Formats: sequence, C-alpha cells, structure tokens
Amino acid sequence: MQKYLSENNLKALLDRLIADGKRVVAPRMDAGTPLYGPLANSGGMVMDKLPRRSAKETFFPVCEDIMTYGKEGQKVNLTDIDPSTFPETVLVGVRPCDAAAIPVLDAVFSWDYKDEFFLERRRKTTIVGLACTKADDACFCTAVGLSPADPKGSDLFLTPLEGGGYACETFTEKGEQLINNHTVLFTEPNGSQPLPPAEPQTEKFDLKKVKKWLDEHFEDPAWDSIAVRCVGCGACAFLCPACHCFDIVDEGTEKAGKRRKNWDACGFWKFTHHASGHNPRDLQPKRYRNRIMHKFKYYDDKFGQSLCSGCGRCIRFCPVGIDIAAIVEEISKK
Amino acid sequence: MTQLIDTSIYTAVTEAIQGEARRILSEGSVSAVVGYAAARRKGSAQPVVITQADDSGKLIFSAACVNNLAVYLTKAKKDIPKNGKIGIVVKGCDLKALVGLMGESQLKREELYLIGVPCAGVLASTILPDTALTSGTIASKCRECGERLPQGCDYTPTVTPPITPVLEKKYAAEIARLEAMTPAERWAYWKEQFKKCIKCYACRQVCPFCFCEQCLCDRNKPQMVETTPRPAGNFAWHIVRAMHLAGRCAGCAECERVCPMDIPLNLLNRKMAKELKELYNHEAGFEVREKGPLAMYDEKDDQSFIK
Repeated sequence: MQKYLSENNLKALLDRLIADGKRVVAPRMDAGTPLYGPLANSGGMVMDKLPRRSAKETFFPVCEDIMTYGKEGQKVNLTDIDPSTFPETVLVGVRPCDAAAIPVLDAVFSWDYKDEFFLERRRKTTIVGLACTKADDACFCTAVGLSPADPKGSDLFLTPLEGGGYACETFTEKGEQLINNHTVLFTEPNGSQPLPPAEPQTEKFDLKKVKKWLDEHFEDPAWDSIAVRCVGCGACAFLCPACHCFDIVDEGTEKAGKRRKNWDACGFWKFTHHASGHNPRDLQPKRYRNRIMHKFKYYDDKFGQSLCSGCGRCIRFCPVGIDIAAIVEEISKK
Repeated sequence: MTQLIDTSIYTAVTEAIQGEARRILSEGSVSAVVGYAAARRKGSAQPVVITQADDSGKLIFSAACVNNLAVYLTKAKKDIPKNGKIGIVVKGCDLKALVGLMGESQLKREELYLIGVPCAGVLASTILPDTALTSGTIASKCRECGERLPQGCDYTPTVTPPITPVLEKKYAAEIARLEAMTPAERWAYWKEQFKKCIKCYACRQVCPFCFCEQCLCDRNKPQMVETTPRPAGNFAWHIVRAMHLAGRCAGCAECERVCPMDIPLNLLNRKMAKELKELYNHEAGFEVREKGPLAMYDEKDDQSFIK
C-alpha cells in the first residue's frame, strides 16, 4: 500500500496513538543526547538526528527485570515478570540501519530458547522506518548490502519528499493496519519526488571473501595490529544495533531483590573470565577478534546473516578511533 | 563569534615527530613509539604503536589527535614490547598524567622517552573528525590550558605554539552554575545525566589513573557497586570514580570526551580539583609526589569539617 503523509499528519498520528494508550517510541532529546524513547506527545520527536543508541533497546532494553524475589520468614517468593503486560508500541523514525538489524536479532532470540521478553515486544511493536537523506563518512550501510532507503525490518516505511511530508509504503500487515486504523491522516500519493537518498562513501564489501579469510585466520598477526589500540570498553557493542550479549545478575538484599538482564560486551575482560580465574580471551586482540568473528563469521555460520548493518556508531564513538569499516575492507583485500 | 584557531604548526610538529621517532627507533634507544596515525575517515587519527623505524612516516599530529596516550603505558602496556624504553608522544595535558603515574609508582621516568608536542589545542569531539579547530570546536580543557609547551620532555620540536585567542573558560562557569543550585536542583541535574549511563565503562578504560587490575565496580563477590545500568548503580559508579580520582586527575578530560552518552564527567573531576586546591593547595600533575592529599595526613590539614 502506498500513501502520502504530511508532516502535520505524522504528528497527528503520533498524538492519536498516544491518546489511544499506545506507547510511541521515537528519537528525542534526553538530557542533551538524541535517544529513542517514549514520547509524551509528538512535539518531542527529533527526526533529523540518528539516535546515539540503536533501536534495539525497544526490544532488548539496557537493563530489565526478569524476576523478583522476596523472603517472608522462611518462605521465599519468586515472581516472574509477565511479558504479556508489555504495552503495544509504535516505534517511529527508525533509520534503515537500525530497522534492518531487528529481524537479524529475531534469529538468535528465537533459536533454541525463545526469549519471550524480546519476542513479546516484537509481536507488540509496529516499526515505522525512515529513509536517510544525509550520511557521514562513518556510515557504511551500502557496504554491507543495505541502503539508506532500504525498508528491511520496517512495517511501514517513510521516505521524505521534496515537497515536504513523506511517501509511505507498507511491507507487512502491521503496517497496513496502522494506516487502516487512521485512514483520515493518510492521503493518496501527490506525485512529489523523494528527496535524494544519502550516499555513504564506502564500497560494497565482499562479505563471502571476508568470511573465507575469517574461516582460515583465527590466529593471525593482523589481530594484534588491529586491536593493539583497543582499550576494552563496551561503547561499540552497546551502541551497535546488532550486538545482543547480556549478563544476568541478582541484585538486592537478603529480604528482597531482582534478577536482571543487562547488556554485556565481548570487549570487556570479564566477559570470558572463568570462575577458576582462567580467561581464554586473556588479551584485548582476542576479544576484538571475537567482535569481528561474531559479526562476519559465527552469526553467518549459524544463521546465514551478518551482524552488522553499517550504522557507523562504533566508528564515530570508539574512544580510540577503531574503524570497523576500514578493518573489514582490509580483510576483504587480503 | 567563532574564531578559527591557527594549527599551522602541526605540519612542522608532524615532521619533527616522524624524524625523532625514526632516529630513536633506528638507533635502538627505544623499543616502541606510541603516537598517532591517520585513519580512514577524512581528518581522523588513531593511536598507533610502531616498532620499526620505517613506520615512522605513519606518525602524525593534528587537532584530531585527542587521545591521552598515557593509558597505553598502564592497562594496555602488556601488549607493547617492554624490552627497552618506550617512546611516547605527549601533549602538555597528557604529560600531567604521566607525572601523576610516576608519583604513584606506575611508571619510571627512565623507562620513557618523551616526545613533547607544542600544542595549539585539539577537538572536543572526533565524531566528525574533519572539522576545523575553532573557538567553537576546541576541547573545553584546551580553553583553560596553561601547558601548550610541555616541559621536561626528552625531545620537543623547536616550534612555538601560536598565540591562541583568549577563550571563555567553560568548566569554571559550569561549576559556578552548579554550585549556585540548591542540593535538590543539583541532584536533579546529575540524575538526568547519570540516567543515560549505559555502563560501557569507556570513561574508566581511557583513564590513565584507572589502572586497578580489577576495578572495585567489577567485583560481584561481594558486590560493592550495583553493576546494573540503573540510576542507583550509575550514581554510585560515577561518585566512586570521582572520589577515587580526587587529587589525582590532572584534567585530560578523556572520560568526558569518550562518553557516548555526553555525560559531562570532567565537571566532577574539576570540582574535586577545585576543592583540593582550596583545602590543601594541591594541584595534580605538576610534581612527582609520592602521595596526594587524600592519601596522607598532616596536622596542619583543615579540620573544620569535624563537628
């Protein structure tokens, strides 16, 4: 289905959704930083900035409670968190790199163990993607086979038009439902041309070739020269739309507390630190190697997909300037 | 009005660094040189460790050379060959961290070969590295820098830093603004900021003074600080860190630069530095001292807080 949505009607749509009791998540400013977050009204939406953290947190929050415990005398009460209480959500203004990573995550969260926290949020969320008209030289979605106008992962996709407003195209029933529930706001396409999409500068990677090199070079001196500068923080993994490792911790007192699921990152030394004291990834290059291997080999081996959508956040925000696009390009030329 | 800052000396500084690195590596007086190299993105730079004289041409200095490389001499030094002295490119602000690390017995002066950089300032952020250095884009720490020409290095290019325009001191103004708040307002301000923290620990990992083999905040038996990225644990983490750095932090502001959530972390460190200056007339990073004021006791110390 193809429709036209004016800027005012987009705002009206969000306000109607909020009034209907839906949770509307969109890019907004949070203490000076653009982040995806629930809107109180459409006025808070910021459409011209790529949020600092990816849209994955809508489904896989930075931190979430998965169980609570309480002790009454000798009796211990355990209470599961019930995912069926999660709210119906519309996630709006998602850039193609963020939206494309979400179906990639479906594979791992619904594999042997069905992660109901992730999956229930997926079922209850409608994703409204937004094409990019600007790119910087950290953007490389085109290098990993996507594009600034790729609707992958979006239920409804918005393309900004030269004459203002958006061309809307639906890709799923959820997307059609959103339009059908608010038909008065969506009008027929008016012939206005799309604004030219952004043009990331990087060349397309030969991901098959990259994988072949990775298959054969678990041990290679290149890992040392690539990762010698890595200081072992989690900025890359935490900003990444596709990194999905988490840690489970119990926090509280003897009387009451919570079991929580928190983001974790393979760059941390503690990530593979065994209770025995042994650490199979004892040095930073081994940890950084895992980051590349997981994205371009292991996930491909297991699920036939790559764990990178070229958003460029890890490049922009690496404290020491590590550039994954340069690394993959270098590997593809080996 | 935005003023352009003259960085024309960086071409000569780059050449001088390359020449000196080539000389010390080829004569074998150092086993490695830690410096900056250009990276893929236009105008970008990243830390590099070179061990061959032939690689000296990779070294650069520009306004994008933001990192305090002293961090590579503590936490990450395991990866740098230690069979001899290590050469390191240092700005004046970075040198203060090295002085502190020597005072804390983490480094020995005789194990280092310091290549000092006459500095006109660096960028506040390298999210877009191809950005001209101006009064608007310069790092806040550079606005109040008094060490544009590092002293006491083994080699410093004979280039005079240009006279930079007098820039408004942002930390002083921001601290004054926060000090004027009521405790409740201040609490609300930091709550908003710390709420964003995702515990990526970039602040800790780039800090030259966070050299503990195991950070207290990584311990879980017993757990000292809630590791979860939630308000309580985030508050605890940042306050523990500010207290642990009090009297030690020399203001390289790397924590603030790298925070992907834009939390103004150096404000905490500058506030602590201000308190220590007022209470003990102590400033970090100027002399190799064995102990900072919070690690020792003197009968003349201010006791007025004991009620």
